[in-house]
Amino acid sequence: MAQFLQQMINGLSIGSVYALMAVGYSLVYSIMSFSNFAHGGVIMLGSYFGFYLLTLAHWAFPAAFVGAALCSAGLAVIVERVAYRPLRLRNAPFLYFIISAMGASIFLENFVVATIGPTFRTYPTVLPRAPIEIGSVYIGRLDIMIFIISAVCLALLVYFLDRTKVGKAVQATAHNARAAKLMGINTDLVITLVFAIGGLLAGVAGVMFGMKYTVYPQMGGITIKSFIAAVFGGLGSLPGAVIGSLILGIMETLISGYFSSQFRDLISFTLLIAVLVFRPMGLMGKATEEKA
Amino acid sequence: MLEVENLHVHYGGIHALRGVSISVGQGEIVTIIGANGAGKSTLLNAISGIVKTSEGAMTFKGSPLPTASCAIVKQGICQVPEGRLVFANLTVLDNLMLGAYLRHDHKAIKSDLDRVYELFPRLRERAGQMAGTLSGGEQQMLTIGRGLMSDPELVLLDEPSLGLAPILVETIFQVIEDIRKAGKTLLLVEQNAHKALSTADRAYVLEQGQIVKSGNARELLDDPSIQESYLGVKQ
Repeated sequence: MAQFLQQMINGLSIGSVYALMAVGYSLVYSIMSFSNFAHGGVIMLGSYFGFYLLTLAHWAFPAAFVGAALCSAGLAVIVERVAYRPLRLRNAPFLYFIISAMGASIFLENFVVATIGPTFRTYPTVLPRAPIEIGSVYIGRLDIMIFIISAVCLALLVYFLDRTKVGKAVQATAHNARAAKLMGINTDLVITLVFAIGGLLAGVAGVMFGMKYTVYPQMGGITIKSFIAAVFGGLGSLPGAVIGSLILGIMETLISGYFSSQFRDLISFTLLIAVLVFRPMGLMGKATEEKA
Repeated sequence: MLEVENLHVHYGGIHALRGVSISVGQGEIVTIIGANGAGKSTLLNAISGIVKTSEGAMTFKGSPLPTASCAIVKQGICQVPEGRLVFANLTVLDNLMLGAYLRHDHKAIKSDLDRVYELFPRLRERAGQMAGTLSGGEQQMLTIGRGLMSDPELVLLDEPSLGLAPILVETIFQVIEDIRKAGKTLLLVEQNAHKALSTADRAYVLEQGQIVKSGNARELLDDPSIQESYLGVKQ
């Protein structure tokens, strides 16, 4: 039982990082209807930003954390400007966006390999390694921190989208950009904002992922899992992205804990295919159009 | 109030508007009638800054119209689009408040909201309901109400009666008169030529991207060629 609880908590922790990444995918998808594959590159660079702010600039951890998130937001906005905006202005078909996203992703990865180098780097120790003991359950301090920070970020995002005027404008633009324009909403600004928010969350996720594991140029590839989670939950649906991510995280740790970690990814991808076959819109995706 | 001169719009190789000139005076209801694909919606979308114009000039209250759609709304021109386009996943109240997106005068917004609820009591009853669950007629009311929430001087109405039951068509046209009485100017695009011509002061007939006829709406209603083409009267 104790081991099960421990696995569940590990699963929630890793799942909440997937959730931060998946929400970034889902936000962009909900507005622009394409999968932003460059998101992984932004997460990877977010991890590097945090690493260098801690080791080279010697910033305190909270400052480095915020700094990395802000740099990632800036990077995501630049990616949108360079890779997507020119296509958007020409009303290019969505396939072009995906190809441009893949190009941006490959560029970011190779840019890091060429400049920083391909070696793995380890974050300096920020939190004491000794786990917290509650009864017979041991919980890593890092896992608790990751879960709390992710939960706070997601709660702030939900508050912003559901309770503020600008958040409602984001939802309106996602639902129908032309109608949003007719309300006087500057949809270009909304798109920039959505990329900035996605980038901010990517930076947070990147730093936490780097702390839990290591930092390396291909780590953006791991975000394919958050993409699976986003599709599993229903692309474009934020609650779907969060729930899909938590389920994926818990499943992964349970499979690694009780079965074999080698089967972990095999099972995640099988899950994705099964969902796409039986419920193409995902757990919480839009099943039908609204009433006409 | 609004002057459109020699307006051309291209969609790729398609020449949708071929030198359209219209004018709308303060307090008028002006209607544009025409068949499907004549360019009526394109004209409204060009005024709203949704489609790019390739040639021509537009002025509003004497100064050139901005090109960005959000700047145009700020100037006091709002479009009530065809096909309703409500934000289905937001509540009725959210939809109405998005209409007032560019305004910050909370008191006036509140009183405009009350006025919209007076115009459409149904919307007050359903304020907390998701807009996507409304019936077609209610969605049309919501679209009009949402447009009015921007406190526009000029309202562009695109096919407000499309797909509505005859009794609702009556209600919508009654509301159009009420909106004019509240001091707004209206530019109305309609396929229901009979209703449009009986409500409007002046009318333009758009055919294949060109204005082929214009004048007093009542006179056009009696015009034999209009009767034959748009009112289904056999000569």
